[in-house]
Amino acid sequence: MSRGNRIALACIYWAFVLYVFVPLILMILMGFKDSKFIGFPIRSWTLDWYTRIFSDAEVIQTFVYSVIISVLSTLISVAVGIWIAVLLEGRKFWGRAFIFGMMVLPALVPGIISAIAFRIYARWLEIEPGMGAIIWSHAVHNVPFVSLVVMARLSTLPKSQIEAARDLGADPLIAFLRITLPYLVPAILGASVFCLLLSFDDFVRSFFLGGYEPTLPVLIFAMLRSGMSPEINAISTVALVLTAAIGIWAERFTRKAKKGLT
Amino acid sequence: MRGELNIGNSQLGGYEMVDYKLNRRKFIGMTALAGAALASPAYIRRASASGGEVNIWTYNDFVPQSFKKQFEAETGIKINIRLVDDQGKQFNLLAAEQPNPTVDIMTVAGHRFLQFIDNKLLAPLDTDRLTNWDKINPTFSESDWATINGEKWGAPILSGMEVLAYNSELVSMEEALTWDTLFSEKYSGQTAYIIQDMMSIVMLMLGYDGNMVAYLNDPDKAASIVEEAKQFLIQRKPLVRKYYDSGAEVQQMFVNQDIALGHSWNGPAAALINDGFPLGMTIPREGSYGFVYTYNIANNAPNLDNAYTFLNAILASPEIGASMTKASGFISTYKDASKYLTDLEKRSTSFPEDQLANLQFFRAEANKMKYGLVDPAVEAVKAA
Amino acid sequence: MSNEASASNAPDGLAKTEGERLFWGRLANWGPYQTLMSVVTLSPRRQFFILATFPILWLLTQHLGPMLQMLRVSLLDAYPIAPDVAQEFSLESYFKFFGDRIFWMPLFRTLIFAAVFTLSTLLITYPVAYFLARHVSRKNQMLMLLILLIPFWVGEIVRTYAIMILLGNTGALNLALKWLGLIDRPIPFMYTSFSMGLGIVYLTALYMLLPLYSALEKLPKSYNEAAADLGAGAWTRFRRVTLPLTIEGISSGCTLVFLISTGFYATPVLLGGPSTTVFAETIAGFFHVAGDEWPTGAAFAVIMFMVALLITGVFQRLMKSLRKGDSS
Repeated sequence: MSRGNRIALACIYWAFVLYVFVPLILMILMGFKDSKFIGFPIRSWTLDWYTRIFSDAEVIQTFVYSVIISVLSTLISVAVGIWIAVLLEGRKFWGRAFIFGMMVLPALVPGIISAIAFRIYARWLEIEPGMGAIIWSHAVHNVPFVSLVVMARLSTLPKSQIEAARDLGADPLIAFLRITLPYLVPAILGASVFCLLLSFDDFVRSFFLGGYEPTLPVLIFAMLRSGMSPEINAISTVALVLTAAIGIWAERFTRKAKKGLT
Repeated sequence: MRGELNIGNSQLGGYEMVDYKLNRRKFIGMTALAGAALASPAYIRRASASGGEVNIWTYNDFVPQSFKKQFEAETGIKINIRLVDDQGKQFNLLAAEQPNPTVDIMTVAGHRFLQFIDNKLLAPLDTDRLTNWDKINPTFSESDWATINGEKWGAPILSGMEVLAYNSELVSMEEALTWDTLFSEKYSGQTAYIIQDMMSIVMLMLGYDGNMVAYLNDPDKAASIVEEAKQFLIQRKPLVRKYYDSGAEVQQMFVNQDIALGHSWNGPAAALINDGFPLGMTIPREGSYGFVYTYNIANNAPNLDNAYTFLNAILASPEIGASMTKASGFISTYKDASKYLTDLEKRSTSFPEDQLANLQFFRAEANKMKYGLVDPAVEAVKAA
Repeated sequence: MSNEASASNAPDGLAKTEGERLFWGRLANWGPYQTLMSVVTLSPRRQFFILATFPILWLLTQHLGPMLQMLRVSLLDAYPIAPDVAQEFSLESYFKFFGDRIFWMPLFRTLIFAAVFTLSTLLITYPVAYFLARHVSRKNQMLMLLILLIPFWVGEIVRTYAIMILLGNTGALNLALKWLGLIDRPIPFMYTSFSMGLGIVYLTALYMLLPLYSALEKLPKSYNEAAADLGAGAWTRFRRVTLPLTIEGISSGCTLVFLISTGFYATPVLLGGPSTTVFAETIAGFFHVAGDEWPTGAAFAVIMFMVALLITGVFQRLMKSLRKGDSS
């Protein structure tokens, strides 16, 4: 690749990074504004919003609640999503298109409809609104994303590898566990990240299926009615720092685990 | 048999099986412990409600924090609040929960009563059980819109109105005394409004009854009036900057100086004024509409007695009313609540007598017909 | 024990440790496991049955179930029902859609927007993914991805308001331009298709970046080098080597982003202008009012996902044929 091309590419790359971070920096900045509203100019600064958040255990609790819901619903969607993807990428069978359509369904329905439909469905199944119901709705909603990503990766696995394993005497389950699954790991990781994000940020489902304990987006949306305040920005910043910390720690942890092999 | 099995270099290849397992276990264990530790206060909280509980759906800041703590301490009844952010969501939520709602008290705007009542979602309010009923200003508690089928359906707590809010550094007070300024060439591209609320106001501007009660028996006339209002707005569509839906949006637009003036509710506008933003608001001479938020009891509420205890307690003193105003910017319905406001807050929650004379309340009787015509008109304006 | 013997001769990449080999070897030879497997693998048909049962049950009850419920609601004339009113079935809600421009226009517009934004996202993130996969050291790639991921942990609403502060008349961008002396009066960026697009791409970029990156990452450098040796220029190399091999990454990225874009409600409402009403908004409107509008809302939702399903299906079919056509 020529030098000129490479520089141009680097420029686009860093411009993109800038684009992604500038609104974020603005958000963090606004958390320090001494006013009930956000926006320029910032005439005076304050740490009050942060002290408010930390003295009120409710915000931290809401954050932990959201995290637990995200993790649990992700575990479910990834497991189910992989299973469905394996079914769909396998040999052709009658009704495959129909199954594919059903799989993709939850992703196509606009949030508010899906949330109301689930609420009514939950009532019919006698499921109480609350944490379980939220996890369930998130898990179902995220399955299409998992399946699509895993199917894409699965389609590039050369069939010969599985066949070779079978020839060597492995049964289908072991072949899956020892060949297919490790090959899918990048896709699984990517899909898990999607699901965690989608679940953590979800508002409509959490609102309709939740009980009296709000998730973080529900809390923020309710606070929004009194105006977008620096306090909301401060809460988001705190959530961000905590998630970033967890993410970086997880990355370090994975690196250490990798080091363990060679 | 020797096979060439080449999986290729995936980023995370095989692991030291034994070592990794241990670390993974530790990781999971730590996380579970951390999560449990942080979540445990919630458990403890829930378990200790001895007097039972009361479940409330309301807007942010409508139940003052100080009141909540005091009430829980004095009565032993736990208050569970679920925050809603508009009337429509409340309705959807409640409808989806029938016939056994989880909620005891809701916050319905007075002019929405009929929708809830017709669907059997509310229980009539037994005002005899509320010894503090007379602490509410009779303008609200005894007004005709509050009594339907001979019953009262909610305890009024906060009053709001549609106002013309303007950036006082850019727009003069005289200009703000008429709704026409909102559609003037001078401020083209610097205005915003909520289409649905504006339809009622435009009908007023054109000389009709925005509540449409007068046309209950003349649906053709009603339809033609809505058509006229709709065309009015469509013709002036190039002049508007934004059609918005929520208070937070119009506040941001003022702060960012994306608009110079706009239609707004007094609550969000008052919040800006209290924050020191150079905002003014008026009830223009063509007139405007007001609405009242009330606390209502759900039909088949699970904790009926606790609900009445709560209602009676929250109506007990004008200071509670004042703290609601401080938080939301809307006007308290309690007698003498304004005594407890600062000067700035008093200013942002009061209007001159001559402007108040132009104010009417939204009424519910013709809502079905009205919104049956207005809602499609709103869509038409958006799609135009 | 032929399994173990051949496994121990396998090249790197399979059994890494003695412990692992022993585990799998033991499992494969464990009595109950072997019985189970012999039952399961009795015939291809049975294997398939075992594989397919759970997914199909899940899909029917979790994916189809709620939607059937919604379909049912869309065919009623009122929902939720006031207790003593009888329900009737009708297709009226569907006719409403086709009958009036104010309904099908937003859907049409939404689909066009979604397509345009998807394409923009693709054009913006492809170079980024390429740079990340090729010109950033392996070690740093994960880290960089994580760093880019960080903003996506902030919720849609807060990020959207951050864009408002960026683009508003007294927002960061206008203030910067003024300070640089490039403008006198603020440029009204907000409440236009531009601001809406910026906001939506901002929210969906990641969902395009990850599949593209994962597709580009496993592309062996040797292909490009071989093409260069054979005399192909940069653009040709890209068009005939890189691009075709990343088709499935592009396909899944675009599908994801398109689907997500059509579902957005809050961001278009907050950032858009008077002429950018999206269909999700139209549908939501029906649920904000009294009961007899819910069936219409439900009907519109059914229509919307039928259309989206159709488009995605066609797109995937297209991509698959492109992929097959270029198989190497």
